[in-house]
Amino acid sequence: MAPLLPPPPTCPSGRTRAALATASLLVFGALCAAPASADITVGFVTSLSGNGSSLGIPYARGMAAALAYKSEIGGEKLTIIQLDDTSDPSAASRDARKLIEENHVDVLIGSATAPATIAMAQVATELKVPMIALSPVPIAGTTPEQWMVAVPQPASLLVKVVADRMKRDHMEKVAYIGFSDAWGDLVYAGAKAAEAEGGLTILTNERYTRSDSSVTGQALKIMATHPQAILIGGSGTQGALPLLNLAPLGFHGSAYGPASLVNQDFIRVGGKAVEGIQVSTGPVIVAEQLPDDHYARKISLAFREAYLKANGAPTSDGFSAYSFDGWLILLTAAKQALQVAKPGTPAFHAALDDAIFKIHELAGTQGVYNFTRGQNYGVDDRAVVIVRLVDGKWTYAP
Amino acid sequence: MTLARLRLAALVAVLCLAAAPFLVSSFSVTLLNYIGVYALVAIGLALLTGIGGIISFGQAAFVGIAAYSSAWVSAVSGYSPWLGLCLAVVLTCSVAAFLGLITLRLRGHFLSLSTIAWGLAIYFLFGNIPTLGNFNGIAAIPPIPIGSLKLSGSAQIYYLIWAIVVVCLVLSYNLLNSRMGRALRALRGGKILVESLGINAFRVKLAAFVIAAFLASLSGWLYAHLSTFISPSPFGAEMGIEYLMMAMVGGSGSPIGGVLGAALVTLLKNGIQDYLPLITKGASGELEIVVFSTLFILFLQRAPRGIVPFVARFMPQLRHVAPGTIAKLPVRAQPAPGYPLLIVQDVERRFGGLIAVNHVSFEVNAGEILGLIGPNGAGKSTMFNLLTGALRVGQGQITFAGQGICGQSQSHIARAGIARTFQHVKLRPRMTLLDNVLLGAHPRLHAGLLRGALRLDRVEEASAHAEALRQLARVGLSDDPFMLAGNLPLGKQRLLEIARALAADPLLLVLDEPAAGLRRQEKLRMAELLIALRDEHLTILLVEHDMEFVMGLVDRIVVMDFGSKLCEDAPAAIRADPRVQEAYLGSIA
Amino acid sequence: MDGTIAGFLAVDGIATGAIYALVAIGTVLIFTVTRVIFIPFGDIAAFTALTLAAIDSKKMPGTLGLVAALAILAFLTEAGSLARTRRLRQLPRAALIYLLLPLAVVGAVWAAIPFAAYEPVRILLALALIMPIAPLLDRIVFRPIASGSVLLLLVVAVALHFALVGLGLIFFGPEGVRTEPLTSFATDIAGIPIPGQSLLIVLAAIAFSLLLFLFFDFTVMGKSLRATAVNRTGARLMGIRPARSGTIAYLLGSVMAGVSGVLIAPVNTIFYDSGFLIGLKAFVGAIVGGLISYPGSAIGALFVGLLESFASFQDSALKDVIVFATLIPILLWRSFASKQIDEEVEE
Repeated sequence: MAPLLPPPPTCPSGRTRAALATASLLVFGALCAAPASADITVGFVTSLSGNGSSLGIPYARGMAAALAYKSEIGGEKLTIIQLDDTSDPSAASRDARKLIEENHVDVLIGSATAPATIAMAQVATELKVPMIALSPVPIAGTTPEQWMVAVPQPASLLVKVVADRMKRDHMEKVAYIGFSDAWGDLVYAGAKAAEAEGGLTILTNERYTRSDSSVTGQALKIMATHPQAILIGGSGTQGALPLLNLAPLGFHGSAYGPASLVNQDFIRVGGKAVEGIQVSTGPVIVAEQLPDDHYARKISLAFREAYLKANGAPTSDGFSAYSFDGWLILLTAAKQALQVAKPGTPAFHAALDDAIFKIHELAGTQGVYNFTRGQNYGVDDRAVVIVRLVDGKWTYAP
Repeated sequence: MTLARLRLAALVAVLCLAAAPFLVSSFSVTLLNYIGVYALVAIGLALLTGIGGIISFGQAAFVGIAAYSSAWVSAVSGYSPWLGLCLAVVLTCSVAAFLGLITLRLRGHFLSLSTIAWGLAIYFLFGNIPTLGNFNGIAAIPPIPIGSLKLSGSAQIYYLIWAIVVVCLVLSYNLLNSRMGRALRALRGGKILVESLGINAFRVKLAAFVIAAFLASLSGWLYAHLSTFISPSPFGAEMGIEYLMMAMVGGSGSPIGGVLGAALVTLLKNGIQDYLPLITKGASGELEIVVFSTLFILFLQRAPRGIVPFVARFMPQLRHVAPGTIAKLPVRAQPAPGYPLLIVQDVERRFGGLIAVNHVSFEVNAGEILGLIGPNGAGKSTMFNLLTGALRVGQGQITFAGQGICGQSQSHIARAGIARTFQHVKLRPRMTLLDNVLLGAHPRLHAGLLRGALRLDRVEEASAHAEALRQLARVGLSDDPFMLAGNLPLGKQRLLEIARALAADPLLLVLDEPAAGLRRQEKLRMAELLIALRDEHLTILLVEHDMEFVMGLVDRIVVMDFGSKLCEDAPAAIRADPRVQEAYLGSIA
Repeated sequence: MDGTIAGFLAVDGIATGAIYALVAIGTVLIFTVTRVIFIPFGDIAAFTALTLAAIDSKKMPGTLGLVAALAILAFLTEAGSLARTRRLRQLPRAALIYLLLPLAVVGAVWAAIPFAAYEPVRILLALALIMPIAPLLDRIVFRPIASGSVLLLLVVAVALHFALVGLGLIFFGPEGVRTEPLTSFATDIAGIPIPGQSLLIVLAAIAFSLLLFLFFDFTVMGKSLRATAVNRTGARLMGIRPARSGTIAYLLGSVMAGVSGVLIAPVNTIFYDSGFLIGLKAFVGAIVGGLISYPGSAIGALFVGLLESFASFQDSALKDVIVFATLIPILLWRSFASKQIDEEVEE
């Protein structure tokens, strides 16, 4: 196809674009007018599609549960505007800008993958809006931490706890296999940190993708190192693949993993191959098995009830609880901030941020939260329990 | 519409763009920023894919190389983003040149697949380089500084982005109107045509490939400093496909289409995100991509060529101004009449066991019209292809103007002074008559890419235009030089091919069955034209099937049959030769 | 790497490659007849697996609604085109083919699911339900632009793939499934275990490439399908309707995608979006095989599977880098080895 020559006029495009942009502005203005009045507006970004959706969808359900649990604080209604980032950091960054610039949200919550979460945090910092991250992001020594806190247990903590368990079980030679993505990187880094403390050796750093049909090559390499145990840095259904492929090769060692494996479909697909695996996770997974005086028992059961009410089905994963805990953090901080400023104002954003960083001993479903300036993460060892898969059920294994 | 009004319209557009940050919301400016960043890649694809016909799925990888280069320089190493730009451009273009050298000789699907292959290979590499932050990427990329000003807000970087987009648009259109641009627009006519015009098709492809990569590198640099965070995911296959979608929707043959496509795709996605929840209620994230894809398919079903051609139908035609009096292009000295210009000695060519041309020898002398005739399957076409370099000579020697031309490439032979036409007319139907003829003048001009893009070639171009108009007048097609070649009837298309060949200032004109498919009246005009050209001392070799046409026209005839030369003589003697009659009748029987 | 490991990797590679081969053959089938590089082929295979898994667990698969919706859309498209060309007399026939027939299939499957006690029956139900999808998509999406450039068809196919992935996520959710193996048979060669399911896949790939080869070279219908591919206008002059050829090719393709899905699901965890990478790698195999020959494509696909298997042992993090970088020299070799004349690029 030959071009139009000489150059066709560029004018209509510019005009159309300007007109479109103006039109969309007007429509947005009209749409956003209502929630911006006095309520606290929450911008929630998650991955409803793309390869993060197996985490992003539970996050969305958890947020629905959170709203069902409590949608009002200090006389102010809370409204959520939810956007999909298609598991793409560019889209997450755009969504964050849209929520702040068009919808004037007071706080950002999200997202399902680490890169998307970092991208959002950059925007939150630039535009000075507090953010509650739902993904374990690597701790960067830069400004984002001023405006961002992360709910989940950091990968290093999850891996440290599971590594301690490996040491207790006398597992000295451990093979690592994980996703070739941000999560796989984080878990491996945690494993290397545990190795540095002594007591165990990480033999391999094998990787696979969520779309791989087989990891036989990696499994063979693992078998060649004769490990006593295997640490899996995958998530969800596909986290079971290494064990499914190792079983026919005669692997009889123990299996360990972090919270990302806790999911009903992991058990369904993994079947016998994943039986007995020990996973470090938040206490919410085994709430009903916890001792009565455990901090997470009551709130976790309340979460489960809210989840059932909001989604019409019981929870089966640990991810949705992060949304719920993020909501608890928001509720606690908002109550304080409301005494300082009106929602929708920069003063409120600053007050909310301050209040978040003053949160002290807040008991959630996944941990006890204490935030201080200079730290993105607010949980400690109490946020991790070890559970073991027994007869297809996660069992508390203190 | 005149050029002045067109410029005015463009100026208004630029002013609209400049005023936009004051008129629209800050998020709309953000959207415009992303549109500009995507548009740069899509402009590159418009040139590469829409015009050059090379389908690339790998542009996202180039964007990624540039983005990571600049992020590494500025965020990891702490130098200026401007140094990052230098590294981004140099590295991306080098990688592109390297990949192009390897893969651009691939054909059809192999080439498209290779773009997927290297695109994905580069993408997967990003996540495995520890200094680039593995899969967690690089955060806190500093803004671009201009003097003491840091372009950190949406509205500030906006002007930089759109200034680059506008400049790139202008340069692209300048380029398309230049010598190299015409060569690029000819690429889709096929390698045989392009090479016959003395154009090195591979080099043109490589140039287009590197230009597209250059535009992608600008986009990547801007992207890194716009989003302040990069990770591998925006540089994968999906984004590569999306860039291609943008170029397709916009109208894949025009740079402005790239901008429109980027705008349409971005605004559509944004609009769906805004309005879909109002219709569906509840979780609509999964539906967004479904709605987007459906609308995209519907759009392409209605307007398969994209926005620009769709809209162009409703726009007034541009009027062109013919150039005034200008310096003429230099002309070759024609050899003295009677000089043996082309000597074919004992040439043989086999296909497997079949001998297509069997030890044929003849000469073409300067200033004559020689007819090469023979029944179907006599080996005329093979002979023709051997002369023009489309096929390799098996044995024997061909000498042209004192130089051996066996084993040389088509474009080299064309540059030596042999200009050809085609039995099945090969024109660029969507280019004007003038541009088609200008293609012929390609070897006589010298402006390269840069001179073309910066319009430093105007003096030479004006001379070339004058020359092309002169050749059009010579064949009697000067009525409307700005008409599209595809709108001509066959007879005039053949004349246009001759004008194109003449524009190359050839020593020898080789015509492949110029009378085929012509009506009687058209044949007569063709014969008149050829005789007039001979009277101007041009040498012509005519390969023809039509005896009647040849007899009244040529000075001498070579007859071929079953791959061998049957005889060689004046037309009258050939007509009387019983062997020739038998050959023709025999072939009929 | 010793012999045993190489053996393991080879078996694994052939098992994966055979999956790609099945999909590659189907892709080539549709491409040769319609010039469409049918990217959604892999998606249809994945949908079959997900449908079967849903039927296995006595749930109503979302595919029921999908097929019904497609049938209505296809009928509306056909009715619109009939109205435009003033051939409304053919409306009842169109209603029968595009509306009633697929809806009858949907109804029958819907009624039969609660009673399907045996795995073979459930597989047949899943296949029956999947079968109309590709032909209906052809009618809705591709036939209006059948004469477009290969690039246009390709980009539209990619857009269609995105739409299907989105629908897959809605219907089947983000988690993957595995179904019961069709056979518990297993054997071993020199100590390397070979699962029966993988053998089945290899056999199916061989059978399909052989059958299609015979079909296209020795039957009238096959020859007429091929004629359409070579020259649509010419085929029409010979009384072959390109649209009908297309429908047949898509129907065959749908069945093949379905069979592939059923065979793959027990050895691979299948997600709503698994189709793309399987399709892409199959496509790579098909191109290595020249995109025209069935046995060639199957061998190309096997090669890709083997390459992947050995690369993942060599360096699992860089596996895809190795696979795709290795492809380029192979493409160079294939491109120069294939004797084709300089093809004219269409306008």
